[in-house]
Amino acid sequence: MDAGRTWRIVAIAGVVAGLGRAAAAQSLEPQSREAVVEEAQAARIANLHPYAPAKGERLMDKAEKLLNGTTPSWHPFFESAYRGGGFALGAGYLQHVSSFNFVDVRGSYSVSNYKRAEAEFVAPRLFHRRGELSVLGGWRDAPETHFYGVGTDTTLEDRAFFGFRESHASALLTLRPARRLLMVRGGFEVARWSLDGGTGSTPSVDNVFTPVTLPGLGTTTTYLHTRATAGFDWRPSAGYARRGGFYGVTAHDYHDRDNQLGFRQVDYEVIQHVPILREAWTLSLRGIARTTALKDGQQVPFFMTPSLGGGDDLRGFSSWRFRDRNSLLVQGEWRIMVNRYLDTAVFFDAGKVTAHTSDLGFHDMKSDYGFGARFHTPIATPLRIEYARSNEGGRLIVAVSPVF
Amino acid sequence: MRMRSIGLASVVMVISLTALSSAVSTARPKFYRDDPLLREPESQDAQKAERSDIGDLYEMMYNLFVNPRYKPSGTRARNLNTIDEVPDSSWFTNRIGARTLTVDEVVRGPIVGDPPDPSRWTIIREKDVGVHPGVTARDANGETWFLEFDPSYYPEAATAAVVMATKFFWALGYNQVESFLTTFDPARAAFAPGATIRRPNGKRTPFTRDDLNAVLEHAARRPDGTYRVVAGRLLPGKVLGNFRYEGTRPDDPNDFVPHEQRRELRALRVFGAWLNLTDLKSANTLDTLVTENGRSIVKHYLQDVGSTFGMCNDLHEWDLSWEHFYQGNTTVKRFVSFGFALSPWQTVKYVEGPSIGKFEGDRFDPRTWRPQTPTTAYLELRDDDAFWAARRIAEFSDETIRGIIHTGEFSDPSSEKAIADIVIKRRDKILKVYLPAVNPIVTPALDENNRLTFENAAVAADVAKAPEAYRAAWRQFDNATGETRPIGETTSGTASLEAPRELPTENGSFVAIDISADSPAWGTPVRTYFRRDGDVWKLVGLERMPETIATRVAGSSVKSETQAR
Repeated sequence: MDAGRTWRIVAIAGVVAGLGRAAAAQSLEPQSREAVVEEAQAARIANLHPYAPAKGERLMDKAEKLLNGTTPSWHPFFESAYRGGGFALGAGYLQHVSSFNFVDVRGSYSVSNYKRAEAEFVAPRLFHRRGELSVLGGWRDAPETHFYGVGTDTTLEDRAFFGFRESHASALLTLRPARRLLMVRGGFEVARWSLDGGTGSTPSVDNVFTPVTLPGLGTTTTYLHTRATAGFDWRPSAGYARRGGFYGVTAHDYHDRDNQLGFRQVDYEVIQHVPILREAWTLSLRGIARTTALKDGQQVPFFMTPSLGGGDDLRGFSSWRFRDRNSLLVQGEWRIMVNRYLDTAVFFDAGKVTAHTSDLGFHDMKSDYGFGARFHTPIATPLRIEYARSNEGGRLIVAVSPVF
Repeated sequence: MRMRSIGLASVVMVISLTALSSAVSTARPKFYRDDPLLREPESQDAQKAERSDIGDLYEMMYNLFVNPRYKPSGTRARNLNTIDEVPDSSWFTNRIGARTLTVDEVVRGPIVGDPPDPSRWTIIREKDVGVHPGVTARDANGETWFLEFDPSYYPEAATAAVVMATKFFWALGYNQVESFLTTFDPARAAFAPGATIRRPNGKRTPFTRDDLNAVLEHAARRPDGTYRVVAGRLLPGKVLGNFRYEGTRPDDPNDFVPHEQRRELRALRVFGAWLNLTDLKSANTLDTLVTENGRSIVKHYLQDVGSTFGMCNDLHEWDLSWEHFYQGNTTVKRFVSFGFALSPWQTVKYVEGPSIGKFEGDRFDPRTWRPQTPTTAYLELRDDDAFWAARRIAEFSDETIRGIIHTGEFSDPSSEKAIADIVIKRRDKILKVYLPAVNPIVTPALDENNRLTFENAAVAADVAKAPEAYRAAWRQFDNATGETRPIGETTSGTASLEAPRELPTENGSFVAIDISADSPAWGTPVRTYFRRDGDVWKLVGLERMPETIATRVAGSSVKSETQAR
């Protein structure tokens, strides 16, 4: 059989087969619109299966459960052991122990070798939703803490270092008798502070001061710290607010078991958020004064004195830049709602530290200004990035909490 | 050589088969004897459908950050019959516009059963959908209801919104929950022995009086200690979770049209704008498996339509209905201007009143209205979908609207009047925008005297002037091949045109008529098809817009519309 004949036979067979198929197909063609639809529905039968979320959806669902806290979960933890420790990275594991109560075990390590490890038990719903209890135990190590001396007249060249380790255990009970507005809080803490010369490129405090010139230097002190707060809080959330305010007073008693470094401290804090044009802007104001009082024959150790400087108060200055027996800080922010998850702000901070409460006025204050962005949810501010400038230069601040 | 010849022959055979098959498939007629279809059949049993819910976070992130890059298909909705209408289905039932509804019918809405007996509520679990406080409870007759309270800052407003919205959406054609305004007296409330609530640890434990108090603390309390609630009746059938605004249910054989291609879901952009359905998302929908005619089918509900009118999730949400939760363009604008580039929601005047919420009609523009997040179906809306929706809205008379708003049972008559006035104002704006946007020829008819008549929906709604003249291009149409042969053209100054003399007369013949108007906006003809059935012409086809139109990426349209504002 030659190739041409083969070709013809196959081609004819193909055409015949095609016609036969067409005729058969025509007899199966739907004869109504309803039949067309039914044909499309019947065609799906073979491929039916339960809905299977794609990877992205599964990840989001997991994230949602994590955010809701309904499953035991690992979570990131960015808080440093102590202010000035630089960027810290860590992790925690949260486990509910009852319907509402949970335990969170967490730790972090910072670029400045600050270390922090702690476990916290939280009972968020006590006394018919009028109370919250936190019991915390932990340890931290801050080997490179700045100290510039006492007062506001110190210079950057005065910088020295010290280090400390602290073991602590505390209980803090917060009560809202009317479930809103009025808040009272009381707590007790046992903390053991062990100071050393620290590590750093500038001199250690041991080389600059003596225990006589700097109370608390080189000591190991065990404090029994009691505290009580009374305040009015009508912010939607302390973690993020564009309206409302907080007015409160906190009294501390630091009892040194050796009766050497015991003292009392009172903090007066006022926060007011003033929404403007439907919260397009918010004028946020804060004032906080801290005063200490000596106990008979005792002194306030330098590492416990009120301080200013750092990402939460005088943001244009280094952490712990100013220390003294008393402090006053005023802050103003013009916050701009960029969208539901992002605010920007321009801000101004001013503050001072003094040896005497009578000197806590608005003159001779250190000040800074700056701007920043805050990524937030309706109740929390998980990321705050700011640039602040003072007469001592500019500083970039990255924080995982609101400034106030 | 032999191998080469056989190979060549094989190719020829394949080509011939393919050509014939395609000839068979293209040989399907354009119209079938049962066109236009009035009901979308559910021919298969869906009993194997299983529950699947969509996560809130996933849906929000997807809609906010993926959908802005979505390029709408530009295609005509795929669940339409041949006359450009949505047939009845498990999704949708033609009501207003398809037949005459009395005010009483609309006011009754989805209600078919008796109201709850509120003399004693027995709580069985928490309310797990929606943002406003609520519980799930059995009434004194033992029937299960979902109770939702008014938030303390919006007394009457949230409960009224649910009741009113269910009636509007029912009349528009959607499956709705039966909802009643009633009373909850906590002093006479009990707890079912097995009543539970999900705790933060994810486990369910007994529902306590303190849990109820926690709910009521956020609710608007009446002076006598009772609470006004809206009670939604438990839907019949097995709950299958939410439906999605794109794709199909993979476990439902009858669900073969991707949801973003369903006109009634696209049209929620227009209905949502009208009634301010800002929380337009899958989480507020529900599929149930029910038995109809001995077959299991999936029925689709708009379950929670309470975020409507002046309602929002929180007292201080001012941007709702003006912006999505996140929009790139407004974010940049406010960021670079330190907030001084004001957005409309920052200055718009709302009618004051706690039972009204944040609702207005003066600056409302349906084209720039925004739900919290854009669904895919929302992005797929075309002008013909919007026109279809606007025609239904046009059917709501002032009297009907006021009748529905009256069911909100506002204690202050001025609140009722204010909301009704705003709904009417927004209705008129929608008609003005969407009815003239396409050639608004509707209800064409070819009578026994071969006279073509029709209506102009935009003119009828008094939102456009009648054109100088209408033009009809007549063609004989071959239903088998799709070929047309011109017959002639006629014109008229009215919506009534004579046919050319050569109109076919034999039974089963088709005529295609392109109807346009002497108006720049309406120059694109509406193509209609009539089939000769005995002595009468039956409308079997209507095409208002091309099958596919050019589109832009969703985010770019958001930007341009916002800027236009």
